[in-house]
Amino acid sequence: MWAFILRKLLYNIPVYLSIIFLMMLALRVQNPVYAYLGKNPDQQQYDELSRQMGLDDSFPVQYVKFVGKVVTGDFSENSWAQRGRSVKDILVKSIPPSLSVTVPTLFTSVVVSVAIALLSAYYRGRPVDQTLMVLAVLGMSISYLVYIIFGQFFFAGLPAAEGAWTPFAIQGYEPWMPIGPQAEQARLINWVTYCLLPVIIGVVVAMGYDTRFYRAVMVEESSRDYIVTAAAKGASKRKIIFVHMLKNAMIPVITRVMSSLPFLITGSILIEMYFGIPGMGFQLINAITAKDFPVIQSYVALFAAIFILSVILTDVLYALVDPRVRLS
Amino acid sequence: MIRRLLRSRGMVKFRRNRLALFASGVIGLYAAIFVAIIGMEIYDGIAQAVGGEAKFSLREGTRIRVLPRQTPGFLESQTPSERYNDIRWHHQRMERIFDRDLESMDDPWVQAFNELDLAERKLQRAELGEILARWEAFDEAFLVLDDLYLERDDMLDLVGSIRDEIADLRGDLRGAEASEAEEIRGEIAALEEELAPEVEYLAEVEPEFFAQEEIARGALLELMPMPTGWEGVKYGFRTFLGSDVSGRSIACRAFYSIKVAFQIGFVVAGISVLIGTVLGAAGAFYAGWVDAIVMWLVTTLSSVPYLVLLVVLAYMFTGSTLFDNPREYPELQLVKLYTAMGLAFWIGTARVIRGEVMKIKELEYVQAATAIGFGRVYILLRHVVPNTAHIMFINFSLLFIGAIKSEVILSFLGLGVSGQPSWGTMISLAKDDLSNYFFWEIGSASFLLFVLVLAFNIVSDALQDAFDPRHVS
Repeated sequence: MWAFILRKLLYNIPVYLSIIFLMMLALRVQNPVYAYLGKNPDQQQYDELSRQMGLDDSFPVQYVKFVGKVVTGDFSENSWAQRGRSVKDILVKSIPPSLSVTVPTLFTSVVVSVAIALLSAYYRGRPVDQTLMVLAVLGMSISYLVYIIFGQFFFAGLPAAEGAWTPFAIQGYEPWMPIGPQAEQARLINWVTYCLLPVIIGVVVAMGYDTRFYRAVMVEESSRDYIVTAAAKGASKRKIIFVHMLKNAMIPVITRVMSSLPFLITGSILIEMYFGIPGMGFQLINAITAKDFPVIQSYVALFAAIFILSVILTDVLYALVDPRVRLS
Repeated sequence: MIRRLLRSRGMVKFRRNRLALFASGVIGLYAAIFVAIIGMEIYDGIAQAVGGEAKFSLREGTRIRVLPRQTPGFLESQTPSERYNDIRWHHQRMERIFDRDLESMDDPWVQAFNELDLAERKLQRAELGEILARWEAFDEAFLVLDDLYLERDDMLDLVGSIRDEIADLRGDLRGAEASEAEEIRGEIAALEEELAPEVEYLAEVEPEFFAQEEIARGALLELMPMPTGWEGVKYGFRTFLGSDVSGRSIACRAFYSIKVAFQIGFVVAGISVLIGTVLGAAGAFYAGWVDAIVMWLVTTLSSVPYLVLLVVLAYMFTGSTLFDNPREYPELQLVKLYTAMGLAFWIGTARVIRGEVMKIKELEYVQAATAIGFGRVYILLRHVVPNTAHIMFINFSLLFIGAIKSEVILSFLGLGVSGQPSWGTMISLAKDDLSNYFFWEIGSASFLLFVLVLAFNIVSDALQDAFDPRHVS
């Protein structure tokens, strides 16, 4: 087991180094300082910024220095656009908002989708199943953007404009402000205000594709020999589906959940931008708009690292849940 | 290869699926529009290159003003005050032109009047004196209308506020005691007495206002008649979905976006399937170091989140005079989208093709071909790759729609299309109109997008059903 993990890690180190190399090259195609300050910057300001980021060194030196920084987790340089904040501060503070939306979204969408898929597989070929699948295809065909815009408008924007009551805020995010003795309660209420609507929208968007995928898994599983055996022995249909089949169908389900782990980090950029939740995607897009080079470079390195780690984790967990997969 | 694919058993099965055939028809319709738009653009390009004038100038058509801002499309009728605002809008534009010293101009048509053009709807050609007379008539009619409108507006406000007051008092009445109730009833009666003459007066003003509105509209039509004939059809097309926040035609923008979407879909899906097939097939077929390189590329590129890749490319191209200059080169501006999506999307195809080729190369007919003595490259191209055609086909349809959907999201984030309309830019512009309950722009863009994506989903489902016996439906 450990040997497997170690081997995976070792294999991915050159991959990561080459990614960083390519990304750093790409980010330096045009002079980052000029991009930020405009074509005719103040000489003093220019020198200061390029010295701060070490841009006056040769590229190999910059590469080695940056890799060193990534390895030691030292992102102490200051952001250009957000005055007085270090890159590390921005990075660390953007993680909780992202997770407070994506984790509930992932969890809920898996539970709901698997439930609907089971229902659909149970009634396979009958009107219930057909209706659900038509709905899934229709839901899949609507753009993410349309869900977000209309969801926000009808559940937050419109009630606010009409003076009706709504539990949701139109935009913004400030859940981590403990208020008095009922700190926990306040947090929950704040979470509902700012994050519940984005979570619901995320679940609805994910459901179209997920239900179809999970239903296919269930249906495929239901034609296996052990199901036929159980049926021949006289087990009821309900028992076959919920006891025998569900357990075995969990393997592909878990695989799929694992493979969507990296998107926990990057996946909700659109939601974050639209609802003004200052998560990682939000900060990255804002840094691009403001040409904030230190932040962009660090985010790229961080995203790639998280991505690789979660891919390794997926492989390992996959091997753990499915005994047929050998660690080789 | 294509002919063999069309005659294969899967295709026969596909053709039996009526819904999928219908969906293919819908896609065909979109494709026809795409081809037509591209054709017209190429015609214009050639005409301009040889020094002639552009005949269609479609992209220009998506930028010009055709109506007052945020006019609703067909079926939705406007409220009286919206109709008044439209007339006022026309009046204001004309006032600016007619205030100038038209008589001293050499050619007022070129120097002033063409500013009034609303696409095909233009000022009626006539002698200058005649036009000035018509303008006088319209101006006069409008001033009367303006007074009537203000009067009517005041009356409506007054009547509304009295009615509100009465409603409030009625509310109080319900919870009031007997002694107070009497008092409140008295108040209500007084208010109602006050209301009666106002309502009567409003009933007099209202028809007068509507009649005057007809007169002003008539005068306006004298000055700027609706185009007739072919021009009228064109103008009708421009206006049937209403106008956006700067008065541009929603219909033109929404249909022009088909071209942008298909362009992105074709280029991205084409590049990805091509690279994916070549690398995947080569890796599987030659094994050894070729496979090692392909797999290294696959792992490296799949370790970069696609959005991050795009963000880096967008940063790389900012400020470039060629690739970040939407006004001059809107097509080159899309290069960063093509590159990012192409780099991200070929990986999936390469993996599937690699798996399939691994299977195919062990089959008897490949061994037979080797035994006969055909070259490796010949076998790969003649016997192996054609048998993955259905995978290429399915992947193409999936990637095509994936690219279009991503374009919409990226344009919204400001990383996608600019300099020409696209569904993404339309939706992101339209999101601010929702608070005015104006749904035409977002509705048109997302409806066209929805129909296309739905058709593609149905077709690619049917393709998978037909070609992959293991696929569960």
